[in-house]
Amino acid sequence: MSVASPLERLERVLAMVPWLLEHPATPLDELAQRFETTREQIAADLDILGYCGLPGYGGGDLVEVVIFGDLVTVRMADFFARPLRLSVREAVTLLLAARALSAVGEVPGALHRAIERLEELLQAEPEVAGEMRVALDVRPEDDELLARLRVAVRARRVVRVRYRSASREQTRERAVEPWAVVTAGGAWYLQGWCRSAAGRRDFRLDRIADAELTDEVLPRPPEAPRPVAYEPREGDLEVVLDVDDVAWWRFEPLVLDAVEERSGHRRVTLRTPAPLWLARAVLRAGPAVRVVTPKSLRLRVHELASAALGHYEPTTDGPDEP
Amino acid sequence: MIERTERLLNLVIALRETRRPLAAEEIRTRVAGYAHDDLLAFRRMFERDKSDLRRLGVPIETLPLSRWDETPGYRIDPARYDLPAIELEPDELTGLALAAQAAGLADEVRGALRKLEIDTGVAVDAHDAHDLGPQPVGLDLQAPHRAELMEAQLTLTTVVFRYAPADGSAARRRVDPHGLVHRGGRWYLVGHDHDRDATRVFRLDRITGPVRAASEPGGFAPPVKEVRASSVVPAPEEEPVVATVTVVEELAWLVARRARGGGTPGEDGWIRYELAPADPEELLGWLCAHGDQVRLLSPAPLRARLVARLRAVVAMTVA
Repeated sequence: MSVASPLERLERVLAMVPWLLEHPATPLDELAQRFETTREQIAADLDILGYCGLPGYGGGDLVEVVIFGDLVTVRMADFFARPLRLSVREAVTLLLAARALSAVGEVPGALHRAIERLEELLQAEPEVAGEMRVALDVRPEDDELLARLRVAVRARRVVRVRYRSASREQTRERAVEPWAVVTAGGAWYLQGWCRSAAGRRDFRLDRIADAELTDEVLPRPPEAPRPVAYEPREGDLEVVLDVDDVAWWRFEPLVLDAVEERSGHRRVTLRTPAPLWLARAVLRAGPAVRVVTPKSLRLRVHELASAALGHYEPTTDGPDEP
Repeated sequence: MIERTERLLNLVIALRETRRPLAAEEIRTRVAGYAHDDLLAFRRMFERDKSDLRRLGVPIETLPLSRWDETPGYRIDPARYDLPAIELEPDELTGLALAAQAAGLADEVRGALRKLEIDTGVAVDAHDAHDLGPQPVGLDLQAPHRAELMEAQLTLTTVVFRYAPADGSAARRRVDPHGLVHRGGRWYLVGHDHDRDATRVFRLDRITGPVRAASEPGGFAPPVKEVRASSVVPAPEEEPVVATVTVVEELAWLVARRARGGGTPGEDGWIRYELAPADPEELLGWLCAHGDQVRLLSPAPLRARLVARLRAVVAMTVA
């Protein structure tokens, strides 16, 4: 028997009884499927229900549960004829989901009407005294690009994207079978099958220069979205950095193998498949981040900084405006 | 020993079907599952049951037993227990299920959708994307403590929680929640911090342990100020500037997306843009990172800072 918590079981019973009162002789299997648990768990829940009822707990007080063959019927449970009202948390979570999708311009079905109904429902709760105050900053820099990619996913069309890879710093055109557009860690990604790389890839939207729908329909159904995450691979460069507290927030989200707290800074170990990208990330933080090892990365930072400085030193011929 | 689920069901039925409030003593002696000789143990059991049921949304009211007897009694108003007829159309319910799935909140609303299905007459399985068509968008809004804090904000309930900021100074905080912000992939709580007597921002992933109510609903006055996404970012410490840059053709599209003007090619093939960054410090970092591909032409003070920073990095990284 699975270890369902008493509260989980209670919620299931409170949802199951109204259904059973309206649908006598429901097969056990159907209940199990509907309430996403096992037949055994449903049977155990029903067993408990049969001992419940009005104080007194005599013959006429108890809920009547009949399992005939495989068919379940419940009677004498008029007090549970209606489902329990939505809790504030449930209503507010539904409302959040609906508002978030509206905010990015994705309005499945009749979401606006549903939002109105949920708001009415919440305001009718005596304990609710205010408006839901949630600020969602989920829109990408380029709304129009997101909209176009969404159309591509929905229409199941192959897209041609011009993508600037972070590791090689080249903008190339790739043919992508798009599966979904998702957020992770505050950034938007197009997930799909990259034909050029012959593999599933995540493309950061802020590195997509352009995207164009083609007429070609996806040759196979899209795969389910999965979390965007860096997975260390063999051959990735291992790097040790000293990161001052002021720059810590930039490096915290990167995968860190080890963090050692020191006074005023942290010594961190991380791995990257894209040393050039990391060199730029280090440069961005300026003197607040130091490369401990490897030397190759330190030299790369040095080269990039020297090249940049070359644009400003008086000896160069670059444009020099006052 | 009666199972807890059974005791809870019996408690809900007893409180729902009683016409007058029941005293704790009546509950102890009459409701199956409570018969406990140890009064203290019963009290603990009953308090825990009550608070768990309320958290599920079961509206247990506390009111005097009668006009002449101040002893607290308990009951459930059936009209408040029952789900009102919301009358969602099937497509509205499907819309909600899709939204929850796309927002990464499907697990949290499965129970709610099941309740709503009863009136709508259709079964919606928020998990089965294939029946509902491909989901073009995925947001990642799921986070611990989010639901409790949203409820506390809506009901004006003060909360307490343990908070462990990055500097290692973990402490218990008492906060009036004014609003929540989702930004950069993270959830933040904005609220009045009682101990510091000031508005503070808390990252939800730094809250350790449970969030508990520290007041009744309506425990503080609704805040006047709106909570905005920008509330969680420290305001830039400097005056806004307009910066002129030139950029290699290959990167031009990236700058063009943020530029407020320009796009004129120069003689050297580099393209010139005007930028009005919200935070000059942020722009400085970006110019430093891409300094080989982008040049800052003006303003002069920002340019001087950029050069100083690049010099420092060059000096630091000499083999």
